Amino acid sequence: MLRRALLAVPVLFLSSLIVFGLMRVMPGDALTVLMAESGNIGEKELAKVRKDLRLDLPYHEQYLVWVWQMVSLSPGDSLFTGEPIVVSLRKAIPVTLELTLLAMVLGIAIAVPIGVLSATRQDTASDYAGRMVAVSGLSLPDFWLGTLVITFAAIWFHWIPPIGYTSFWDSPGRNLQQFLLPAAVLGFRLAAATMRMTRSTVLEVLREDYVRTAWAKGLAGRIVVYKHALKNALIPVVTVVGGQLGVLLAGAVVVETIFALPGMGRLTVEAIAYRDYPVVQTNVMLVAGTLVTLNLLVDMTYAWLDPRIRYG
Amino acid sequence: MSTKDRGPKVDGKQVSRRQFLHRAGWTGVGVGALALGAPHHRAAAQAGSYPEWIPPSTKPPKRGGTLTRASAWDPPMLDPRMTQSVGLYQFAGLTSSRLVRYTFVEEASNPVDIGLKGDLAESWSASPDYRIWTFKLRQGVKWQNVPPLNGRELTSADIKYCFEAYAKEGVQTFNFKEIEGVETPDKYTVRLHMHTPNVFVPQSLAEPITVIFSREVLEEDGDLKKRLIGTGPFILKEHNRKVRVVLTRNPDYFDKGRPYVDEYIILSTPDAATRTAAFRTGQADFIHVSSPSEVEVLRKTNPNLVAQSYHNTLTPFGVAMAQDKPPFNDVRVRRAIAMAIDRQKQVDTVFEGHGILGWGVPYIYYQDKAPTAAQFGPWWQYKPAEAKKLLAEAGHPNGFSTTLFYYEYFPQMTSQVQLVQSDLKKNLNIDVKITKMDYTTYYGRYADLKWEGLSWGFQSGHAVGIDERTYQYMHSKSTKNFFRVNDPQIDELSSKLRQTPDVKEQRVITKKIVDREFDQVARLWMPYDNGFLVFQPHMRNGAALALRRTDGYGSPHMARVWLDK
Repeated sequence: MLRRALLAVPVLFLSSLIVFGLMRVMPGDALTVLMAESGNIGEKELAKVRKDLRLDLPYHEQYLVWVWQMVSLSPGDSLFTGEPIVVSLRKAIPVTLELTLLAMVLGIAIAVPIGVLSATRQDTASDYAGRMVAVSGLSLPDFWLGTLVITFAAIWFHWIPPIGYTSFWDSPGRNLQQFLLPAAVLGFRLAAATMRMTRSTVLEVLREDYVRTAWAKGLAGRIVVYKHALKNALIPVVTVVGGQLGVLLAGAVVVETIFALPGMGRLTVEAIAYRDYPVVQTNVMLVAGTLVTLNLLVDMTYAWLDPRIRYG
Repeated sequence: MSTKDRGPKVDGKQVSRRQFLHRAGWTGVGVGALALGAPHHRAAAQAGSYPEWIPPSTKPPKRGGTLTRASAWDPPMLDPRMTQSVGLYQFAGLTSSRLVRYTFVEEASNPVDIGLKGDLAESWSASPDYRIWTFKLRQGVKWQNVPPLNGRELTSADIKYCFEAYAKEGVQTFNFKEIEGVETPDKYTVRLHMHTPNVFVPQSLAEPITVIFSREVLEEDGDLKKRLIGTGPFILKEHNRKVRVVLTRNPDYFDKGRPYVDEYIILSTPDAATRTAAFRTGQADFIHVSSPSEVEVLRKTNPNLVAQSYHNTLTPFGVAMAQDKPPFNDVRVRRAIAMAIDRQKQVDTVFEGHGILGWGVPYIYYQDKAPTAAQFGPWWQYKPAEAKKLLAEAGHPNGFSTTLFYYEYFPQMTSQVQLVQSDLKKNLNIDVKITKMDYTTYYGRYADLKWEGLSWGFQSGHAVGIDERTYQYMHSKSTKNFFRVNDPQIDELSSKLRQTPDVKEQRVITKKIVDREFDQVARLWMPYDNGFLVFQPHMRNGAALALRRTDGYGSPHMARVWLDK
């Protein structure tokens, strides 16, 4: 496991090089956007501000400065807004964390029971219905579904989630009003992928000898399915859920925009648009670190679910 | 705004559990229908059925209430020296005052009323040569009662400090460097010495971006990125980026009794569908939409809404040609291109008939009514055969290839770009290779003025003063001359205009500039949508005047809005 953890170091190093390089390859910079649109700013003045922000340093020096800032946990200030990045992250991370966690909980809570139901009632009406929902979830893009949901909610119920963000600790009720609908939209895709995988793996496991033996022993159907079959069927499901985390984070960009939630997605997209190098770099590294950590956790979950798996 | 058609409050609508379940069921059916491609309900484009002007309410204003708006824009920062973003100026004109301002809706006699009123200044006058301008300040104006200002009195020294700071650094240096020096003979007098005579100084100081900020905040913080304290009708209570801006009524505002509402909340809402939904559900009191069909769709859920058909006095976008390089340095090529593009088709299709053909100088500076197509002159009529002949005369009988880069400021723009591409190919055999860019890439390339071929060009939106739209955008020496106009006649006329105090003469000179611009096809303006401002039935005095929308740079008007509920 330690070896696996150490493998994260080159992954993160490569990620840092890629994001740093890509941001420098893109034309334009934050100052051009922020100050020059008026047509009032001369090159001399722009050069002065670039120097103040150390954007005039050679790229390798800029990279080293940034790596040092990251290692010392002080990633600096946004070029665009001047706000310390730590402050921006402190506001954005809880939003995205809550959104993705809720989406995951909703997605799994819906997907696993329906997937099992679909498998145990193969080729019945409920199976077809479940499969249709799953295919829809995989086919409908988040932006379309989100737009549709918010539009229809307004037209039919004269209600949409209160615009803005209220912390759960300040007002749990208002916070849930703001998050449930976007989390459902975001979780729909995860639910679809998980539902399909649950159905197919449960179907496969149900044909195993030990399950047949359990039936032959006269065990109740619920116990056979949930105690004997489901646990063994869950390993590929965990893989799918783990793999969907990246998709959830990508989907959060769109969902946060539609539902006006001030999370990491909006922060990063805006920073990319305005070439806010330090913000983009920090956010990407944070996401990369999170995904590496979560993949490690998924690997550990395999070992827990299947005692035959050992990391030596 | 009429009160007789006022209806039930949307946000107060009660939905029973039974109704909720019933509707939930039907929502599924509705979603399915839409997914299957239910016909898009385009309402008849009855643009003419909406009023262009909503006169101020004759009822006595009511105090109190919270005004809310879902906004596409987010202020990048609060420092007016460092940004001209509409995100900031959608409220900076409410927290802060200017020396002079344009008329508010309730003072205006018509939508094109561009009269000036005193804001911090009570009166102003110029020396005979228009090089020295003297502004007499109101006495007893207090800064907002928050630290570190704590309600101290505003004096002429504050204005001097602010103007000198603008000239020193930031996005407004170009304008403020035209001031040679600021003199403060007493506490309530500010005297500006200009480098050159300029009759438009008051208009320039009335622009929404020239807000007066406080010395103490700049000196304490080193910048103005976090605090915006002024002398305006509202105090900035909260600025939570990507969430909301909350403004509360300033009880010490010098214009006693105003503003009328207690609080103005601007919700950061980047998605257009969400803004529309916010209006539908009463979370927003007003909204801007582009097309007549959007108003009609809104009317289905909000039958009592009040819509103002907003008529632009200019267009900010056009095809910019690298006219300092071949083939666009040949006026015949520019004229041929202008004649080969069917602008009316763009108005009819892209903007559902609710748009303007396109011109860059607000027409109100040279005539009373919006220009007609015929007024633009021969090169601006859609005449493909003549265009082809002219291009052949210019040495391009078989057309040529060129490039066009653009940033999609609004969705319809891509359709416009494609229509131009199609017209030029069909009528002149000009192959236009289009590149769509993200904003920063586009802007970086556009503003460095070294590109070749074509670009979908723009003029920045905050300043619509006559000097800005003539001298500053078209004089060959101006840094804002993005369209690369280099015409000695326009240079001479725009310089002369700055020294012409008589309004009638100004109109004559402006017309000459515009005629010359169109004759030389110096800037190839493209159609632009007019749009609508849509209000909840209880909102009063929110209508926009011709130059600026009340939801954007025209935000200072919001000081006079009140809620009739």
